[in-house]
Amino acid sequence: MSDEIAQPPERFRQVARRKLADAHVQEAIDFSTQRLFDLRTAAWAGVEDIEALREQGREIRSQTIASLDRHLDVFRRAVESRGGHVHFCKTAAEANARVVEICRRVDAKLVAKSKSMVSEEIRLNDALAEAGIRAVETDLGEYILQLAGEHPVHIVAPAIEKTKEDVAELFSRVEGRPVEAELEALTKAARRQLRDVFLTADVGVTGANFFVAETGSVVLVTNEGNGRLCSSLPRVHVAITGIERVVPTLADLAVLLRLLARSGTGQKITVYTTLCTGPRREGEVDGPEEFHVVVLDNGRSNLLGTHYEKMLSCIRCGACLNVCPVYRKTAGEAYGPVYSGPMGAVLVPLLVGLERASSLPHASSLCGHCSAACPVKIPLHEYLLDLRKDLVDRGVTSWRERIAFTLWSYAWSRPWGYRLSTAVARLGQPLGGRVGPGKVWASGRKLPPLARRRFRDRR
Amino acid sequence: MAKRVQLFATCLGDLVLPDAVADTQTLLLEAGYQVEFPRAQVCCGQPAFNAGHRAAARRVARTFVRAFSREAPVVVPSGSCATMVAHYLPELTGSAPYDVWELSAFLGREGVAVPRRNEGRTLAYHDSCHMLRELGISEPPRRLLEASGATLVPLRRPDLCCGFGGTFSVRQPEVSVAMADDKLASAGKAEALVTADPGCLMHLRGRAARTGALPVVHLATALARGALP
Repeated sequence: MSDEIAQPPERFRQVARRKLADAHVQEAIDFSTQRLFDLRTAAWAGVEDIEALREQGREIRSQTIASLDRHLDVFRRAVESRGGHVHFCKTAAEANARVVEICRRVDAKLVAKSKSMVSEEIRLNDALAEAGIRAVETDLGEYILQLAGEHPVHIVAPAIEKTKEDVAELFSRVEGRPVEAELEALTKAARRQLRDVFLTADVGVTGANFFVAETGSVVLVTNEGNGRLCSSLPRVHVAITGIERVVPTLADLAVLLRLLARSGTGQKITVYTTLCTGPRREGEVDGPEEFHVVVLDNGRSNLLGTHYEKMLSCIRCGACLNVCPVYRKTAGEAYGPVYSGPMGAVLVPLLVGLERASSLPHASSLCGHCSAACPVKIPLHEYLLDLRKDLVDRGVTSWRERIAFTLWSYAWSRPWGYRLSTAVARLGQPLGGRVGPGKVWASGRKLPPLARRRFRDRR
Repeated sequence: MAKRVQLFATCLGDLVLPDAVADTQTLLLEAGYQVEFPRAQVCCGQPAFNAGHRAAARRVARTFVRAFSREAPVVVPSGSCATMVAHYLPELTGSAPYDVWELSAFLGREGVAVPRRNEGRTLAYHDSCHMLRELGISEPPRRLLEASGATLVPLRRPDLCCGFGGTFSVRQPEVSVAMADDKLASAGKAEALVTADPGCLMHLRGRAARTGALPVVHLATALARGALP
């Protein structure tokens, strides 16, 4: 399951090294995460009692997850009663097959897509391409990445490392003439390039920030309006989302929208908040003829009832990425092609299995900033700590490391063992910077000498 | 009779920064405390705990339980070890909580007045993440440094980690070092960077030694002897 997002152990460090050496990326990511951090901080400060709001959000999310089946069932019935279709899919392959099937049935040649991390998770565009269907991303960031042949490095701001000069180059290539590296010119170019896609697409594929059980609505939160175009212009609208994004009522949704917009982009509300409820009804002038919601599991239900269940509360706001000092240095790519930062470091191993993403729980200094920034109070850094324990317990951590810590712990389990082992370590000190972790440490830092007399020897 | 405190040196303090521990002792003695040093102390187990090795961590953490009593407050010149003892060690070892205090929080609560040993100096203070976010201690160390005569310059982003993170520092050494560089550079025109955590200190000082950045000093030393010689 989810092979698409598994991470080989050495990859994080390799990509991180490359990103650290790229001054251009460092500058872009530093600027953008700082901006999003400032906006979020100000937005939180503008709420009369942000802690109460966070608590309310946490409560709604955890209660919903606790009886997920029931809410999903209510949602399905609500959608069907309005003439829509819900497709529950266990795996990525199943979800891809379902979307391809829908597209084929309506003989679709062109799909207009708005931003969806779930579609990235299952590599939907590849599946569509294999079926001979062209999918065009219409979220500006995603469109830029599609032109560049890259994947999102941030769950909210996918092209966070691209500067306007990068974008101008990509857009110029499409138009076959230079596009000025100015925001207005770039926006106009994007509009020019995408307008036809909206108007001629047979199917619109969107994500869903939430879906509401009581009304059967799919909720799209965007700032560009492309989600609204994708969901209303083409004949068929397919929304694709994870099982955990269900919200029981519109009242609950209101709370979560307040948290999402403020935590993600520092807005009180995003420019467009769209609720799509079923296909076009008689007498309505617009909207799709068919309305489908693909609800993906892909490993999520394995978390239900476990210690890690709270991870399903995540509303994908990206606040934890923007505060993470490790994310800020490595950019998203190091975490893999889809989910990055602290939420990715927790979620990916849980979805694909620890063995296949063993470096991610360690891709953190455990500074705790993520947990403090999470609008629904997921204990992200504590989860990272617990995943590290699982790595050891399941024997994924190397035997050398396990033996080293075990020997160390026996030596230090008695004061005499501590005194003896540290006296020996002092004798072996000249070797310290030449082997093992000491050597790694000394590659960028001076190794601190062990004091000639320990504090305890002075008393 | 003087009030008693128990001093927990921590392993890094004992082995690498014994002067900072001695400075901690000096501050406590100056403030009129009777300082006990339980001889059986070793380490709180944090290095293993944070790397996921709970059994190893438990084995070592038990030395703390055997060494310290609950009859007097435990004072620690380390934000992260204080966090370990306060938040994780009781559950890990199945023991009752301790009355444990990070040094500056203890001095702050007790209203201890420190001598003006940093008169005219411009210093920056680096928050240790665990101390800042898990113990919620940010004002006491700053107030103490100011009370010692120093002018504090704020770091550009005091909330950001310096990149130590225990085993993180050797698992992702390049990222770890890059974070240290950001932290050191953000100290601007401060003459020294002061921190209350031996882990951060060892990492930042080790990096500064390679790049020629500013001196990095333990809070206890800054308060007991002045941040600069």
